[in-house]
Amino acid sequence: MTAEPEPAAPAVCPNCGRAVSATDNFCEACRTELAPAVVSGDAPVTATECPFCHAEQITADGYCESCGRRVPSGRDHLELDLGPLAGVTDKGLRHARNEDAMALATAESATGPAVLAVVCDGVSSSRRPDEASLAAVQAAVRVLLAGVRADEDLAETSRAAVAAAQQALAGLDEPGLGDPPSATFVSAVMTTEAVTLCWLGDSRAYWLGSGTGSDAKQLTRDDSVAGELVAAGLVSEADAMDLPGAHVVTGWVGADSPGAPPHVATFTPPGPGVLLLCSDGLWNYQPDAAGLAGLALPGALGDPLGTAAVLVKFALEAGGADNITVVLAPFPPRALEPEEKPPNER
Amino acid sequence: MSADFTVEIAQNEYLPVGGEDVNAIVTVTSPDTGPAAPVNGRDSAEIIIIDCSGSMRSPRTKIEQARAATAAAVDVIRDGVAFAVIAGTNKAQPIFPLDYGLAIADDQTRFLAKQAVAEALPRGGTAIGQWLRLAHSMFLSHPATLRHAILLTDGRNEHETPEQLGEAISLCEGVFSCDCRGVGTDWEVGELRRISSALLGTVDIVPDPSGLAADFAAMMETAMGKQVADVSLRVWTPQHATLQFVKQVAPVVEDLTGRRTQSGPQASDYPTGAWGAGESRDYHVCVRVTPAGVGQEMLAARVSLVTATPSGPEVLGQGLVRALWTDDEALSTRINGSVAHYTGQAELAQVIQEGLEARKQGDEDTATAKLGRAVALAEQSGNEGTAKLLAKVVDVVDAASGTVRLKKKVDDADEMALDTRSTKTVRTKK
Repeated sequence: MTAEPEPAAPAVCPNCGRAVSATDNFCEACRTELAPAVVSGDAPVTATECPFCHAEQITADGYCESCGRRVPSGRDHLELDLGPLAGVTDKGLRHARNEDAMALATAESATGPAVLAVVCDGVSSSRRPDEASLAAVQAAVRVLLAGVRADEDLAETSRAAVAAAQQALAGLDEPGLGDPPSATFVSAVMTTEAVTLCWLGDSRAYWLGSGTGSDAKQLTRDDSVAGELVAAGLVSEADAMDLPGAHVVTGWVGADSPGAPPHVATFTPPGPGVLLLCSDGLWNYQPDAAGLAGLALPGALGDPLGTAAVLVKFALEAGGADNITVVLAPFPPRALEPEEKPPNER
Repeated sequence: MSADFTVEIAQNEYLPVGGEDVNAIVTVTSPDTGPAAPVNGRDSAEIIIIDCSGSMRSPRTKIEQARAATAAAVDVIRDGVAFAVIAGTNKAQPIFPLDYGLAIADDQTRFLAKQAVAEALPRGGTAIGQWLRLAHSMFLSHPATLRHAILLTDGRNEHETPEQLGEAISLCEGVFSCDCRGVGTDWEVGELRRISSALLGTVDIVPDPSGLAADFAAMMETAMGKQVADVSLRVWTPQHATLQFVKQVAPVVEDLTGRRTQSGPQASDYPTGAWGAGESRDYHVCVRVTPAGVGQEMLAARVSLVTATPSGPEVLGQGLVRALWTDDEALSTRINGSVAHYTGQAELAQVIQEGLEARKQGDEDTATAKLGRAVALAEQSGNEGTAKLLAKVVDVVDAASGTVRLKKKVDDADEMALDTRSTKTVRTKK
């Protein structure tokens, strides 16, 4: 952990060229955001022409008004690569759209380079779950990024990020229609010292240690019917998953959230390894931390993007019944290499 | 419109490779605004048409009970509703009001109407088309949008041709809805069904005249509960797709396929009439589409509820019928429970009508086979009402296999009750 501290943000504003500090969120002169977070699907590919029949009327719900075919959405499959961390999200094989969303960012904190990530899974029984997850990750990552850059207390920052997501979703609500937009939530801020986790619902974080021995564990505990039964010692984890309604989440962000405060936990990695954030589209097929480590290591240490794609492929081949989102960040987080371009989306 | 209709779709969206038929049950429920929010009475109009042909005199209780039933229905009409009572014979004439218009309901007009009804004398023949034509012109004398009629007859349409009746029905289609009742057993089920189907109403037998008053009051209560007029089911389908059929399947089977009006380049409208608060109906939609590749998705139909307003059509709710092609047979071979259930209920109505027709023609083998199949279908689907009606026409040897024997002696009223109520379905257990 003695790496040369290198600025994560460019020393000059890419827009106006004025000198900026590494801890600035925005250029003082022109207000350009300097190291913006990247968000899956915030710039959706808005098709104006049907790729199947070339009609030029696409409905708001994504179908061709002429031939009826579903026009692929910009969110169906997305890969985000920031270098020190990467994520892949996929709509899976059974769902019509991707209701998962993720946001990733890098920052320079007081203790050195830091990475942060948010994964949200829109609750399918709510209205507009795809918009819910996107709004939640957008709002939360902004707060996390500002907090990390300003050296705020990370547990408090994480709670504030959930509050911001909660507020964003309340803003999407159309009172009277019922089932307000809602989503699960898991965030992580990883510095060179520790990982601060915050969650509501059943999207998970895992530690996949690369040291000797079985150094892998689940870092979050689900807010779900199954999770609560397991936590109460009433059933084993394996049996709980087969119970009817096991996957019903009992915590989420949204206007009708049960209101319980989000869980916050701090984890100090015992050595090198990889932090994994994922939606249930992955862990439904491999809930076991050691099993996930077997799939992700050692590849994820050097190639988080390629390995995230491997994990997504694993879930697709296992059935792809749900949307799948996988974020991988090796520990300790490294700073951006000088040649690493500003965050891009592909 | 303050609240939306809900539209729920039950279907197996997975089709096998090359699969082209997409079936879905569409459950439409109107908003439950509760009794606190009735429509303005001024927006409703009601006409009661009672058969005053000579046959209503025998037995004498028939005209007496018809008068009492009309009075009971008049009592249920809310203040402010425009109404009238028509006497039907081989022509038609108003009983109340006498000016060929509609009266506005209040204590005074309801009293006068009942007084006029009490004096209505049965004489003459039966020309139902004439009755409908008079109701039509009286309805059009008033701007109300929720227009409903009750038609009571005891006999066949003897004094005009079926074509004349048909023309009158066409004239009234879309102008008012009509619930039809046949009293006694001398009327023709097919004739009244033709009217009630076209005019989006119900049809039933009232074998004993003493049952009329309660039935009339109940029909009028339902009519008073209607809140949204002229609702259409609008079905959009993709290019090169064909809508195989659109059927209402609950509460009764009613094939709407032939009632289609084009409403857009790829959309057609089917009339559903007026809706009360919290009313729920099921529709079976079958679309044939051009298959797409495995993993591809297509919108096979967009089903919406549309009502006409002064500012143009308003969409009250919509649901999507989807098609997804898969090579996973476990998915594509699964039959949706609702689709299977209502396919059975529609077949039940059909085999009863075919079975009764065969019985009339003296074709006992066909009658036994069809009615046996009906018994089996009623048993499987838990349609107890229809099972009971069937048991009055056939002796059931084994319900599960549909083994039956035709009864030697069947009461006319029982046979007609089975015929008129054959389309009544039960809903799937949720």
